[in-house]
Amino acid sequence: MSNEKIVEIRKLSKTIGKKQIIKNLNLDLHKGEITGFLGPNGAGKTTTIRMMVGLMKPTHGDILIGGKSIRTDFEGSIEKVGVIVENPEMYKFMSGYKNLVHFARMHKGVTKARIDEVIQQVGMQNRIKEKVGSYSLGMRQRLGLAQALLNNPEFLILDEPTNGLDPAGIREFRMYLRKVARENDVAIFVSSHLLSEIELLCDRIAIIQNGELIDIKNVNEHQQSRYYIEAKPSEQAKQVLEEIGFTVHPHENGYLIDTEAEHIPGAIKLLTAAGVDLYAVQPHRTTLEDQFLEMTGGGEIAQAHTK
Amino acid sequence: MLKLIQNEWMKLWSKKATWIMATLLIVILLANAGITKWIESTSPAPEIGWQEMEEMNLMSAQDQLQNPDIGPAQQDYYEGQAAIAEYRLANDAEPFKVESLQQQVLDGHMMLSLVTLFTVIVGAGIVASEFSQGTIKMLLTRPVKRWKILTSKYITTMLFALLFAVITFASIALFSWIFFGIGDGAFLVWNGSEVVEGSYWAEALKLSVLSLASTWMIGTFAFMLGTVFRSSSLAIGVSIFLMFVGVQLVFLLQRFEIVKYYLFTHTDLTQFYTGFMPIPDITMAMSLIVLTVYFLVFMVISYWTFAKRDVTA
Repeated sequence: MSNEKIVEIRKLSKTIGKKQIIKNLNLDLHKGEITGFLGPNGAGKTTTIRMMVGLMKPTHGDILIGGKSIRTDFEGSIEKVGVIVENPEMYKFMSGYKNLVHFARMHKGVTKARIDEVIQQVGMQNRIKEKVGSYSLGMRQRLGLAQALLNNPEFLILDEPTNGLDPAGIREFRMYLRKVARENDVAIFVSSHLLSEIELLCDRIAIIQNGELIDIKNVNEHQQSRYYIEAKPSEQAKQVLEEIGFTVHPHENGYLIDTEAEHIPGAIKLLTAAGVDLYAVQPHRTTLEDQFLEMTGGGEIAQAHTK
Repeated sequence: MLKLIQNEWMKLWSKKATWIMATLLIVILLANAGITKWIESTSPAPEIGWQEMEEMNLMSAQDQLQNPDIGPAQQDYYEGQAAIAEYRLANDAEPFKVESLQQQVLDGHMMLSLVTLFTVIVGAGIVASEFSQGTIKMLLTRPVKRWKILTSKYITTMLFALLFAVITFASIALFSWIFFGIGDGAFLVWNGSEVVEGSYWAEALKLSVLSLASTWMIGTFAFMLGTVFRSSSLAIGVSIFLMFVGVQLVFLLQRFEIVKYYLFTHTDLTQFYTGFMPIPDITMAMSLIVLTVYFLVFMVISYWTFAKRDVTA
């Protein structure tokens, strides 16, 4: 991971009609890093992504890709970007191969050999000559990935890429993205509303709500260690734990204590000695979902902006 | 740009509809030639010879020349017609029969309205279909500026029109050669001072280039509607409606000055060479200027909306 900055979003705003959909958004993306873009429906994920790829124009602010502004040097900035916006819509009346030839012609220096290489990479060599209309959704996703990789992108943008894929397809897709990020040192930006998906795939998560970036965090950041203890009689257990000096929070049928693993055996001994029956002692991890819901206010869906 | 046009051309001919249109065009032209042949073979031989016909032409041309309302272009035309008819009678120079390759080729430009029709369909859909298929997202997220993409689509539409015009002429020549063969007669032109023999191919080419102005304008109009409204059916409907009704409106507007700036007064450039002019006092130069202004307006609207539009669908 080189950690070189490839994308800089600077003070990005978008106003449609009187409504400010994106408010002063700042974000950097680095090579080799997969960043998830998470937010409730209508938070502005799709709008942000569309501005990043030139489908919509920012009202204020700018996006620099590889140091080139999308406003003043569109062709230069988008040159090394691969895009999958929602379901990749292809020309159904043409074969997969012709679709790739079509897109390859729109980039500089994509050779026939490169087209064949990409087809191999996504494993479509057997059906590439068939019409796209006959492909399954999974096949189309693969072709969508193939077209995004044609120009050897340094930056891949994916908007809800796993929509409509089955679990096996999602898994395959995930493995593939990780491989591309690591091996080719590509920065990847993935939007999704599927928390578990983002958690499994990403190194870093940017959370957006009502058009504002409310948090950026690393997925495997050291979490505060917490343990869940369930014991009966519970009042007595609480007393014992407080006497040891733990801060005790009621949770479900037991308590949560903030502590490191090395203090757990001692606590168990003291609890047993006090005649408390232990039913469960386990590390408690807050899932991304809990954090997300906490941050976005119980998953209340932001006022839906029309898509 | 060449690669972009290549792309558009490939997409166009990957659609079944395009092949159906090409087939339909050829079938219609074949049927047209066939029906002409059938009428000729079933109707009795004409009672009057070509000499009588020429005498009638001469008289009607002279009548027209007495008419004080005709414009300068019509004046030239009828003078030429009268001179040619006199020459034919004096020198025993027979005109082409309708059932001959030569006359069919000369009249071929009238068949170009079919080309206009198909061009409207293609022009209306070439941008709109990208939106309806959702492929516009794929197309515009490439390192190619939007105006270049739109230009490639416009050029492709015009190339399609040209190709179909060529197919039309090739089919007319082929089918009339098969059904009628090359007939006797001479093609005569009035060069302003005397009647000379001319090339009917050159004349046919001139008339069809002039006819294509209408294909070009209506095609551009459909292209604009398709780009602005992103709906090919709307663009096709409105364009074809105007193609038929627009010309009729010329007659309704005849009395008003505004008719001189109205698009359909000028779309038929062959009117300066066929004598049929609803508004006699316009000139070729004036028509070309009006058409150019309309063309620029259509183009500015198309490019402006296409370049500025936020793609949200």
